[in-house]
Amino acid sequence: MNIDLTQACPVLRNRTEENDREKGRIPVKCRQRNRFIPVFLIGVAVLSVLSLLYLEIDWLKMASRVGDIGVVFWDLAHLDFSNMDLILSSLVETISIAVLSLLYSLILGIVFGMLAARNVFRIPVLSVVTQSFFTFLRAVPTPVWVLLMLVCLGMGPEAGVAGLCVHTTAFFTKSFAQSFESIPDETIEALEVTGASRLSIFMNAVLPAALSQIVAWAGMRLETNFSECAILGMVGAGGIGYVISNSLQGYDYGAAGVAILLVFLVAYCIERGFVRIKKKFS
Amino acid sequence: MKPILKFDNVSKHYPNGVHALKDVSFEVREGEFVSVIGPSGSGKSTLLRAINRLIPISGGTVWLDGQAVSALRGRSLRQLRRRVGMIFQNYNLVYSLSVLQNVLHGRLGYMGGVKGIFGLYSEEDKQGGLDLLEELGLADFAYNRASDLSGGQKQRVGIARAIMQGPKLLLCDEPIASLDPSSAKTIMDLLRYMTRRRNIACIVNLHQLDVALKYSTRIIGLSKGEIVFDGPPEQLDDATIERIYGTSRENLMMGGNRDDQTDTADCA
Repeated sequence: MNIDLTQACPVLRNRTEENDREKGRIPVKCRQRNRFIPVFLIGVAVLSVLSLLYLEIDWLKMASRVGDIGVVFWDLAHLDFSNMDLILSSLVETISIAVLSLLYSLILGIVFGMLAARNVFRIPVLSVVTQSFFTFLRAVPTPVWVLLMLVCLGMGPEAGVAGLCVHTTAFFTKSFAQSFESIPDETIEALEVTGASRLSIFMNAVLPAALSQIVAWAGMRLETNFSECAILGMVGAGGIGYVISNSLQGYDYGAAGVAILLVFLVAYCIERGFVRIKKKFS
Repeated sequence: MKPILKFDNVSKHYPNGVHALKDVSFEVREGEFVSVIGPSGSGKSTLLRAINRLIPISGGTVWLDGQAVSALRGRSLRQLRRRVGMIFQNYNLVYSLSVLQNVLHGRLGYMGGVKGIFGLYSEEDKQGGLDLLEELGLADFAYNRASDLSGGQKQRVGIARAIMQGPKLLLCDEPIASLDPSSAKTIMDLLRYMTRRRNIACIVNLHQLDVALKYSTRIIGLSKGEIVFDGPPEQLDDATIERIYGTSRENLMMGGNRDDQTDTADCA
């Protein structure tokens, strides 16, 4: 039997325009419809069903534990300030790790972003090689890099800074390269015809023009790095994450609650702060 | 008067098969003010960009100040380029920088090493930039962001940047196409004044025939990549205009009848 898929499944129908006209209605959609979208949606649905079957999630058991979520959060809400000195000092340590890794990555990101941007040196091979190298670094998540650095450099904040730097630099390289490439070619051309060298054009025109975007990326990344620091502490890279995981494991929910609240507050302040800075820059 | 620029049977074809320039030959001498006119797609922009090798040519030779442009690469090309200023339709300034910084960009070609990279301009250059802004009536705006200026002011900064290079030749690619009539007049007056005072040869691509007739000492008419007229404005008669634009003079003026509207739409 020959089933017409477009008849059976309305989303795949491509000739809605003629269809509408036949029925005396005025068509409104684009002639060329993107047929990839329904295929994508069907694909997602199929993969979701397969995942559910594979994981064999016991929904009943999960539902019976929902009540515990309330209990734990209730315990967390009983803030315990007796360990404040330890919590504050590890919070400062976490902020320092986040700031230092951001600073190093900013410098490295500008250098590598310059190499990766297609419009700065106009050497396509250089851009492709840099881009793909950092795509590889980016594909490995930060905690894995920190674990690797812990093996190489030993326990402590150095490993945290180094591990965060790898991923942050990779992220900055891509985003800065995009920012540099968004500078109009005509602007670069205008400096090219003055006889300026490529590096000079980059430093005097491309970088200043991309500065507000760089600040925005840096702000976003400082916030992420700070929150990631909290996870990294749990694998032994120092900072407030260590306090959180230690307190949770020792059923000291009050102290963990204070630490989590502080993480949230600092992340929020960083975000608000950079929103203000960005406004002044643009 | 010495020739500054010489086109020797220059041709350019693009990979898509378009012949933008066909065996174009002409000379430009010191102090000349040359307008290049022609309809869209006649090769005006290609001709201008072949001079400082923004577009590489496919045949013939461009001689600039006695040097063959097409033979140059890297450092020697940069040294040649700094003797040629260029002004663009869209000004192409760095809008997040100050007006003075944009003007000083004209000096970057002369600054090597660390100074060039970090933009450490000499006091002499800075004073020169300020004097130039004064001359162009922008002294009060030297420390404003370039984005704060109006279109005509931005183009004046573009002129200052090009003059800052100390060029022997100034190339202007549709310098007034984005401006209102009064700013356009200011810009054309300034171009003529600045180049005449410094004895700089000037080549201007223009859409506006009346402007070309008023300002130039010489007009080059291009049609489909070929020079169909080369001479002083007085010699440009109606028959030649029709040969250049493929339509009569009346249709080129605003408010003309017939297919004027569609012509304008095609040009835009």
